[in-house]
Amino acid sequence: MSGSLEMKTPLQDTGGSALDRAVEQIEGLLAGRYVLSKRAIARLLLQDDEQIREMVKVRDARAYEQVERIVVAARQSYSDPLDYVIAMRRQQEINDLLQDVVEPAGARKSSFAETLSRWTMNPATGIPILLLVVYLGLYKFVGQFGAGTLVDFLESHLFDRHINPFLIEVVGKLTSQPALRDLFVGEYGVFTLGLRYAVGIILPIVAVFFLMFSVIEDVGYLPRLALLIDRLFKRIGLSGRAVIPMVLGLGCDTMATMVTRTLPTRRERFIATMLLALAVPCSAQLGVILALLHGHRLALAVWAGVIIAVFLFVGYLASKLLPGTPPMFYMEVPPLRLPKISNILIKTYTRVVWYLKEIVPIFLVASVLIWIGQETGIFAWCINLLKYPVRLMGLPPEAASVFLLGFFRRDYGAAGLYDLNDAGVLTGVQLVVASVALTLFLPCIAQLLMNIKERGIKTGLLISGITLLFSFGVAFSLNAVLQAVGAVL
Amino acid sequence: MSKPKVVLVGNPNVGKSVLFHNLTGVYATVSNYPGTTVEVARGVGRIGTQEFEVIDTPGMYALMPISEEERVARNIILEENPSVILQVIDAKNLARMLDLTLQLVEAGLPLILVLNMMDELRALGTRINIGILEKRLRIPVVPVIATDGEGMDLLQQRILDYVGKS
Repeated sequence: MSGSLEMKTPLQDTGGSALDRAVEQIEGLLAGRYVLSKRAIARLLLQDDEQIREMVKVRDARAYEQVERIVVAARQSYSDPLDYVIAMRRQQEINDLLQDVVEPAGARKSSFAETLSRWTMNPATGIPILLLVVYLGLYKFVGQFGAGTLVDFLESHLFDRHINPFLIEVVGKLTSQPALRDLFVGEYGVFTLGLRYAVGIILPIVAVFFLMFSVIEDVGYLPRLALLIDRLFKRIGLSGRAVIPMVLGLGCDTMATMVTRTLPTRRERFIATMLLALAVPCSAQLGVILALLHGHRLALAVWAGVIIAVFLFVGYLASKLLPGTPPMFYMEVPPLRLPKISNILIKTYTRVVWYLKEIVPIFLVASVLIWIGQETGIFAWCINLLKYPVRLMGLPPEAASVFLLGFFRRDYGAAGLYDLNDAGVLTGVQLVVASVALTLFLPCIAQLLMNIKERGIKTGLLISGITLLFSFGVAFSLNAVLQAVGAVL
Repeated sequence: MSKPKVVLVGNPNVGKSVLFHNLTGVYATVSNYPGTTVEVARGVGRIGTQEFEVIDTPGMYALMPISEEERVARNIILEENPSVILQVIDAKNLARMLDLTLQLVEAGLPLILVLNMMDELRALGTRINIGILEKRLRIPVVPVIATDGEGMDLLQQRILDYVGKS
């Protein structure tokens, strides 16, 4: 934009308050070229905008010191932060501006949607509604339908009976080298493990979760949930805003970690990333764990109780230990509406595609890495090492390989546990302890990479270290407690 | 010469992505939670013979950024040298959303205010006097219903007016 286009706006103050004088003085001092008007630059400087300050330091190097003095002086003449003073003034301007512009609504009838909307946000009615949504959406639809019926069909029928035998036969004909055979169709083969887990177990669960998420998103439930849960989240250093990454994390923690970008402060982003890594199980894990604990109601309750307790405790601890101010929260609440099928399908589709592009290659690479680890013996060495902490948790040594697999894909690990249970080697207590440890265990490799990408290498590794420590610590203590009381689950 | 740029800004959940789609014909995920437009969508639109680049920004509440998304949105304004900025707002929340409008006007940016969701406003029985609003803000104000394309003709005309000027 050309420098001559200094628009005269109707918002210019003519009064002689300290703020206006400061704005005028700064405007007079600025000589550099900015995209924004000098008046806007002056206001942003008064609001303590770091990026603009750096810009002015460069473009008006000579005047900068004087500008800074004016800013400091202006700040001292108000008891409130200038940001607030400026916002209040603008609100006044808006009120004046809207005189006679908006014709007020007539007596509005309270529709059913509005009543329902109020119910979702009032704790007395909102919490039962939330529980209903969790029960129907998560437990019934994702857990029983997705992880039960669909996985059963895809994995047990399609893969175990048709695809895998076919592939094993084909590979067997192509090569007689045992190592190569193992790579593709062995115990941890690219096809028999990688593809089977990715397409047969994880995909249906994730797709069903995303479908459910798209529905509650499209009807406008998420912002209401955010308001409902804001007070609780404030206790753990977050705000209602964090509801979205947290709920999304129940689908895919890696995706959710990326979405923590929407949180305003670094402190909130850190806490959210850590909670996602530690105590928010993704839909794949959730599905497998629900299937695993199916029929052990008490075990399921213990697992859920422990995970929720860890979530709240770690959040509370983090909010106490980390420096910084508690978050502010403000969110639009759009009207509740009936979901649009086309919206839901497109949203689900784009998320599933994202997931497939991101995840399936990692599964395949993980299979190859495991194969290399096995061929070279590194894998066996690691499993032997892991047997110690696994034994400390009261688990059979076979579970060690599950934890190692778990690092490559957390849901991989959960699925490995499933196999172990099918073999009938776990008792109820062991099942719960293993489920807890695996839920809390190190994020999968994709999430680890995302943690590092979003939070930086130091913080990303720190979060992973804390997660590792916590998962073994909690599982160990849980086992000790359950053994001590002689629980049978 | 590169194409003139049209930049969409505004709070989250006001229909920017739908408007972007209307202007470009390329789909960007429609969403009512902050987060999906973290990545900036770009597309090419055409009005008559004039081609232009359309940029959809992450949600922003104020010119001074608090979140990373807002920082991204402002950097686009600062660095991309837009010919026109469309601030999309939810017409039902005019009073609250004018806050950003005033800041953009004060900054001297080439702004068009797009009042979206006029159907929902009408359903509430509320009316906005566009004429007075335009006079007081001294920028074009265009009412639209992005989801069914109502008002798009006028909006495109207003965009052309600006692009022609620059």
